[in-house]
Amino acid sequence: MIVTWRIALRMATLVLVAVILQVSFLSYVSVLGAVPDLLPVLIVCFGLLGGAVVGATSGFAAGLLLDALLLQVLGVSSLALLAVGYLSGRYREGFEIGGRMTPALLAGAVTLVGSAGYAVLQATLGSGAEVSWLVVREVVVKALFAFALTPVVLPLVRRVLRPALVDEEPVQRRALLPGRRRRRGAQLARRRLRRAATPGRSV
Amino acid sequence: MYRRQVRRRRAILVALIVGSLVLLSIHFSEPESGPLHTIQRGVATVLSPVESAASAALKPVRDLVGWFDETLEARGENERLREEVAELRRELADAEQALGENEQFRQLLKLDERDELAEFKPVTGRVISRSPTVWYSTVMINVGSGDGVKRNDPVIAPGGRSSALVGRVSDVTPTTAQVQLITDHRNAVSAKVLPDGPDGVIEAEAGDPRELVLDVLEANDEVKAGAIVVTSGWSDDEISSAYPYGLEIGRVVGAGDPDAEVQRITVEPFVEMSRLQYVQVLTGGPERPGVPG
Repeated sequence: MIVTWRIALRMATLVLVAVILQVSFLSYVSVLGAVPDLLPVLIVCFGLLGGAVVGATSGFAAGLLLDALLLQVLGVSSLALLAVGYLSGRYREGFEIGGRMTPALLAGAVTLVGSAGYAVLQATLGSGAEVSWLVVREVVVKALFAFALTPVVLPLVRRVLRPALVDEEPVQRRALLPGRRRRRGAQLARRRLRRAATPGRSV
Repeated sequence: MYRRQVRRRRAILVALIVGSLVLLSIHFSEPESGPLHTIQRGVATVLSPVESAASAALKPVRDLVGWFDETLEARGENERLREEVAELRRELADAEQALGENEQFRQLLKLDERDELAEFKPVTGRVISRSPTVWYSTVMINVGSGDGVKRNDPVIAPGGRSSALVGRVSDVTPTTAQVQLITDHRNAVSAKVLPDGPDGVIEAEAGDPRELVLDVLEANDEVKAGAIVVTSGWSDDEISSAYPYGLEIGRVVGAGDPDAEVQRITVEPFVEMSRLQYVQVLTGGPERPGVPG
């Protein structure tokens, strides 16, 4: 992926939208005792499309924004999400993404690692309170959510970042309808005539 | 070329990890008024209108999801409720007697005479965002220092007999405030079991935001399931609880051995924290020694 300023801006917008959507909507949707987490999924998509550096950097930025917005301890989410981005990016750089399920499986596995790391960090930094076993359930359920959300999120992210993707297949041209074909033919003929009228050039 | 790329990748990774660790350590070491906290509050303030607008726009979708959730939950609860109806019929007779006793309890607790809550000015706020993990039981509300909200102000919401405690203000910006809920494992509330039960400290286990645990020292009284737990408003000349006396917290659902060194009482909060929409911040209360405002 070639990251220009425009692409970086698009990625930043995606991160901002995802963070806002997460804290104002998805955090209220509790299924099986956990809420779906959109951010690891988005960061896995960045890692899969852009590689380890893009994944890690965007993960760090997304975690920082999330912690800042919720007035949480700065740095914890950044560490967890940069690990998520780096691991998915390294997978993309080292292996062929063949199967259709590979991105979803990878997102599930990497989210599991990221959430577990986050839990360990929180337990280490915690107030000394007892830790419930329900934390393990949250880690597993979040990984399942990531698995389910990736097939929806990845095509959207790919679409937004398409201009930057170097290994993206070219978009097929639309078939020309008869009317459009005539207009196109006339357009080409006019262009040929202009070229012919230019001194020193032949048709 | 490849080696240079690998070196660059590693350097960026190390820089990001070090950056995160530096942020972490600064966050813990600097005071609340430090530059990092100030920047953090600045970001939260700048983005709070976006958050508030998104929260309002997405409310219908949230309500729809909540409706499905409640419907599914209601189906599962149907059977349990049938059993409860039978149980409640039996308890109805006892309730008549309890009504009479209630008046006595109120007098005992001086609920009618206390004027602590009358000194507060309630400010109503709407929940605009919440943390996505069970590690932080916090919500952001759309009122802040501009509305008179200060750190450590108690926060209540509809529940219990009228309103019940949900937490305290843990951080504040000009337009928003962070409320640390009583189900957050970093929060501890001095509490008392009614009518004349033991005092103790009520806390939550990290990762389990549905139940609270009241640890009671030197208690020989048997605590019955269903008893109401309120804030004890403990205070002396130097240090005191952030909460005034008598705010309802929840109902006892289980109690440990009263003869044990530490009796563990399980409490279910009156307010369903996952469905909080509107809260009231009790601002402008009396000075409480040792509680920074």
